[in-house]
Amino acid sequence: MQDAVGIITLVLVTLLAIVFLMVLRRASAPAVAGATADPGRFRAPLFWLLVVVGIGVSYGTLVEWPYGPGPATSGEPMTVTVTGSIWSWEINPTKLPVGKPIVFAVTSSDVNHGFGIYDPDLKMLTQVQAMPGYINKVYYTFSKAGNYKIVCLEYCGLGHHVMAADLTVGP
Amino acid sequence: MADAATIPRKISPSAAVAVRLTMALAALVLLLMMVLGLAMRLAQSNWVDLAPDLFYQVMTAHGVGMVGAAGLAGAAIMWFFLNRYVELRVGVYYLFLAFFLVGVMLILGGTFLGGFAGAWTFLFPLPAMSGGVWNPGASLAFFIGLLCVGVGFLVLYLDAGLGIVSRYGSLARALGWPQLFAGSQQEAPSPTVVASTVVLIVNTLSIVAGAIILVISSVNLYVPAFGIDALLAKNLIYFFGHVFINTTIYMAVIAVYEIIPAYTGRAWKSNKVFLAGWTATLLLVLAVYPHHLFQDMVMPAWMLVMGQILSYVAGIPVIVVTTYALLVYLHRSGIRWDLASALLVLGIFGWVAGIIPAIIDGTISVNKVMHNTLWVPGHFHFYLLLGMVAIAFGFSIWLAQGEKPAQSFVPVQKIAFLGYLIGGLGLVATFLYAGMISVPRRWAVHLPEWVAQDQLGSIFAAVAVLATAMIVLNYLVRVARAK
Repeated sequence: MQDAVGIITLVLVTLLAIVFLMVLRRASAPAVAGATADPGRFRAPLFWLLVVVGIGVSYGTLVEWPYGPGPATSGEPMTVTVTGSIWSWEINPTKLPVGKPIVFAVTSSDVNHGFGIYDPDLKMLTQVQAMPGYINKVYYTFSKAGNYKIVCLEYCGLGHHVMAADLTVGP
Repeated sequence: MADAATIPRKISPSAAVAVRLTMALAALVLLLMMVLGLAMRLAQSNWVDLAPDLFYQVMTAHGVGMVGAAGLAGAAIMWFFLNRYVELRVGVYYLFLAFFLVGVMLILGGTFLGGFAGAWTFLFPLPAMSGGVWNPGASLAFFIGLLCVGVGFLVLYLDAGLGIVSRYGSLARALGWPQLFAGSQQEAPSPTVVASTVVLIVNTLSIVAGAIILVISSVNLYVPAFGIDALLAKNLIYFFGHVFINTTIYMAVIAVYEIIPAYTGRAWKSNKVFLAGWTATLLLVLAVYPHHLFQDMVMPAWMLVMGQILSYVAGIPVIVVTTYALLVYLHRSGIRWDLASALLVLGIFGWVAGIIPAIIDGTISVNKVMHNTLWVPGHFHFYLLLGMVAIAFGFSIWLAQGEKPAQSFVPVQKIAFLGYLIGGLGLVATFLYAGMISVPRRWAVHLPEWVAQDQLGSIFAAVAVLATAMIVLNYLVRVARAK
């Protein structure tokens, strides 16, 4: 996901830069006498292109509700309770099964924290906010066994960057 | 009823002085805040030793200082040009400045003397629960400081609103609604008036929302039983913050609307497309803020969906109205470039380019793995450093060169511009890359695996700071000489 996002961003920003440079190259030139083409002729097609792309992306990314358990899950997910506090995590249980749907029910005992799950290569897999007075749920199914890291993703004071925990995922 | 003619009037000498002073102040604050930002990058690079508590104070000051400076510069730009069309009071402007300066003193005191390090977003209830790191008094100073700054803005916007309504009859007329919706053939108000009207409406709402949560948070410091639902607090804070920072760009872009025509000989028209774009923005900027709350699934689902869809829609006016118009006006205009015009055009590129990673992150399924990583500072530095702030510097240089195109674009200025561009792009690119590799934002200490790209980011940040220093010096020296 992150790689695709990065590449799409790079491509679009580069395209935009090319458009700007193409116009800027001709900016200092004088206007062509007798030019009749309407400079606004690209505006409507551009607008409709953006609308069509926007509808497509909105549909594609929302038709499957992004907060749900996902399509390929069966049976009741296993619940893991998580409570964030200044500056530690209380997670129960910390040994989780691979390949089984899990729902993390996350809350905070004090300030806002961010429950972030990272894989052994330090890539973020999912996250959710830990809020006082609320239980936020995030669904995840681990596809690989291994040691996973929990970090805090919502600034919570001096110990924000050391507020970590470990999860073990096994068969 | 006042007529809606758009013949600009000359700003009074005292008003001109007030704005030049403001831009000098804003430039210095921006430069100082950049140095703080550089310090943070250097600390994360393990090139400078910064204790975590100091890092987080610096982070808090950098955030609030940048937002404040952007607001200050934007307000000065808006006020400067709005003076051409409506009656505005210089006394009110100085009152705004006074509130701002008092606020800044309190904020700096709370942060560096009191040790407040709650980040500029002061997310409830963190200011009251620091784990013993700072006292309630430090938080209170920060809150009152922000309230002071907010009151200053409200006073300025009130005066602007009075001036606009006196001249145009109503805010609806100032937005060009008779022309947009009722087929009126009368000339629409100038782009400056339209944009200023949008800003004063939305920012009044945002500041009031911010003030509500600031006052509640202040009382809560000493009376814990006087609290607020944490989710409601979060909504108020992100509504305030989102709208406020966006209006700094909306105020700044007025400089582009007013100055670029002097270079191209083509007036910036408030045609129906322009009016429609700004009316859409008025609604969109208010309704899109839930895109800051995608990881709070206890929010009503419709608000989260609205946050995603409107994030995409909000990009349309920027691309199809302002950017498109700029490119049309520039194309074969015979423009002779100087530092001011280069910075103004860079600012529009930075704005429209910066919304690309922003909008992508405004997709819920993307946000799940990129929220609160350095992708977020990546996108907002793109449209602030290379967007809003570039425009603010462009405006300043234009002021310094006598409010007209310069005779030339001298080599030292070209070097400063290129340094700003390359330093800024590199800073942004390293942030975005860090987000791709899941580096969290707002961490004082980074894991060893992340340090190499932090160091690259630091180098680009240093280049950007040096280039900024050159631009700011250029402005200060020329403005001082012109007096």
